[in-house]
Amino acid sequence: MEYEVKLKKVGRKKTLRQRIKENKSWQNLSTFIWPLVFGLIMIGLWQKEVLHSWFHTDTFTLPLLNKIGGIMGDIHEKLLENTISTVQVAFWGLLIGSLLGYLIAVFVAIFPKVGKGGLSVIGAFASVPVVAMAPVFNNWTKDVSTDAGFRSMVSKIIVVTLICAADMGLNAYRGLTEIKPYSEDLMAIYAAPKRVTLWKLRLPNSVPYVFTALKVSVPASIMTAIVSEYFAEYITGVGRQIRENIVLAQYSTAWAYIATACLIGVVAYIILMVLQSICLKRYH
Amino acid sequence: MSEAREVEIKTRNLGVTFQDNEGNDVAALTGVNLEIMKGEFIALLGPSGCGKTTLLRSIADLQKPTEGDVHIQGMTPKEVRLQKKFGFVFQQPVLFDWRTVKKNVELPMEIMGYSKGERSDRADEMLEMVGLKDFAKHYPKQLSGGMQQRANIARAFGLDPDILLMDEPFSALDEFTKEKLHEDLLRIWRATNKTILFVTHNIQEGVFLSDRVCVLSPHPGRLSAIVDIDLQRPRSLEVKETAHFNELVAKVRGSFEGGSVS
Amino acid sequence: MKRKIKRIVEKPWFSSIIWILILIALWEVGAVVVSNTKRVPENILPHLHQILGAALSGKTVTADMTATQAVLSSAGLTLFRALLGFFLGAVIGFLFALLMKLSGVIEKMLFPYLMLIQLIPVLGLAPIVLAITGDINVSRVVIASILSFYPVATNTLAGFKSVEKEKYDLMFIYAAKPYYIYTKVLIPAALPYFFTGLKIAAPMAVTASILVDTLQGDGGLGCLLSQSLKHAMSIYVFWLIVFFSAFVGIIISKIIGWIEYGVSPWKRRA
Repeated sequence: MEYEVKLKKVGRKKTLRQRIKENKSWQNLSTFIWPLVFGLIMIGLWQKEVLHSWFHTDTFTLPLLNKIGGIMGDIHEKLLENTISTVQVAFWGLLIGSLLGYLIAVFVAIFPKVGKGGLSVIGAFASVPVVAMAPVFNNWTKDVSTDAGFRSMVSKIIVVTLICAADMGLNAYRGLTEIKPYSEDLMAIYAAPKRVTLWKLRLPNSVPYVFTALKVSVPASIMTAIVSEYFAEYITGVGRQIRENIVLAQYSTAWAYIATACLIGVVAYIILMVLQSICLKRYH
Repeated sequence: MSEAREVEIKTRNLGVTFQDNEGNDVAALTGVNLEIMKGEFIALLGPSGCGKTTLLRSIADLQKPTEGDVHIQGMTPKEVRLQKKFGFVFQQPVLFDWRTVKKNVELPMEIMGYSKGERSDRADEMLEMVGLKDFAKHYPKQLSGGMQQRANIARAFGLDPDILLMDEPFSALDEFTKEKLHEDLLRIWRATNKTILFVTHNIQEGVFLSDRVCVLSPHPGRLSAIVDIDLQRPRSLEVKETAHFNELVAKVRGSFEGGSVS
Repeated sequence: MKRKIKRIVEKPWFSSIIWILILIALWEVGAVVVSNTKRVPENILPHLHQILGAALSGKTVTADMTATQAVLSSAGLTLFRALLGFFLGAVIGFLFALLMKLSGVIEKMLFPYLMLIQLIPVLGLAPIVLAITGDINVSRVVIASILSFYPVATNTLAGFKSVEKEKYDLMFIYAAKPYYIYTKVLIPAALPYFFTGLKIAAPMAVTASILVDTLQGDGGLGCLLSQSLKHAMSIYVFWLIVFFSAFVGIIISKIIGWIEYGVSPWKRRA
């Protein structure tokens, strides 16, 4: 009996640590605090030049953060100009490529017998290093315009388009075909024509999958835009500026462009997340 | 029947209170006093939300009680668990896709450090017992739902646990498979003499299998009645046709407060 | 006879072949148009037989190598570095996922940054990595491993998280030590996810390695590619590289698929 009483006390009492751990608002807070702690440690290591000694480099190649920030302020007009150029390429490539990929997926979903093989061919394209093809599009677009800036842009957009189309095609096809069991049968019972099934069932069902595709292709489109700038005829864009400035050994300026590139990625992703939460409201 | 038997599991004023998303207390289970004898087959019966699974999980140490306590063989659930005296069968057959049926049965024995030969012999024995001998080398995905649940039971018995806890193990199976498994379970139980706690929401199932049916009621979850099932052992499916079986079913049904359960 | 043809037509590979034929047809139509309208058609879209001819021809494009020899010898260099970075990235990615699974605090600390890496155009960082490391080979491996690291880490972590609560409960009932929970449950459960990560990572590692080649002229496919485009050697070398890298990308993900198939017997008999 004595043993039981003792046990009861042990069972009830919680340590302060446990109490804190189980507290809901602490749990919510900690998902912000821990990343913040890590970020601050990294910033500290960078500013105190600890990172520099780890990587055997100096503040010339890896400038301090305040210096990068200062330069970003100094050249903000040029940053903006190049950002617009890169974002334009990424955006149009993303848009055209995603539309193209989606149309292919719809085609395959309507004519599955012919289409399925095509999809596996596209799947194979997804593992092709498309960057290797970037240079040739400069040759393709030579006669598009007399304006080097414009034809350069077209050739960069083609590369981004290819990357995004493969990704969207594969995901959208899954969205158009992976339908809840019985709903297809239900459509058949109502003798709904293919067109109606597509419009009422397949297209709405594919929306979440479209966002799955975009989560991959939005960062990929930016990365591809940046890399294809390396090979472009006309010198513009954030990626090209990184390279040009490094060639000129202006590392701080290069870092300002790197920071800008990261910002573009983060902002684009945030926009995508907001769009997703608006579009997928009904799906939850 | 129970005069000379010792108490295996004892709950005293057991209660579990959860917090919902808004931080309000919700009593899943209150004031449960229950004594279960060694070798007894107990059915915990009730509608969803009555706390029957919570009671089972409290006994298995999967859920910490917020009130009262549980004693098993004079120990806490945790001590019993650490001595590896529990077997647990979930509603879904929790099998490991990457292991063959036999390897699935061997898993708990691997964890407990049985030798290879011992594991293999024992797994073969268990598979024979549940009628899966010919499927030892198959993977779970190749089996039907009923066969998967058999494998699951074989695994639970593999360690020779003192207490077997079963959480609606047959509720996802069709009636024919279920009846077959009922008979098999009773046969295995008789041969091994385990204490079994069997959670179900099916009155016939509870009455057919158990020595006693513990009826639980919701809002808040509590033990509302205990019905002795004095059907003779061993039981076969024919017993379901007898008038006494139907009387007992009616009695259990009548013991639900308000008679809200059909 | 008719039935036999029908059976062949309904095979999945049949429509793949049809599509490949359609692509070849489109290419050739394009090539005909280009050769009639452009001054230097091989810079834009040569005929496929011309590319094949260049691959098989014995004519040297460098001091002592034919086009195919040049491509293959450079490819060895590029692919070796890509593979090294890929392995390094995959191992680090796996360990990272494991570490994040082991400690909730580490997961909370690092997970947002893992997401962030995905948004940073890592390939765009190639020049700065070269500037920091100062060594082209090191930067190749570093870039390839960063690119392979995050798909492997995120997918493996998703694999660890895919383990149902019941499996943990079962392990808890058996009072299994963490070592067993990891080796018997978590790691096997995450394996298919790990392979998905590898399949995404492999072509990226190859792309990265080719790109880093172009930054500095000391061999490798990317270096050869730039030379060919600047007309320092036959333009057909460029086309060979395009086809070769496509082939490598496809074959690597196939190989990973086969390895996965080999180490997971339960997938064979479902």
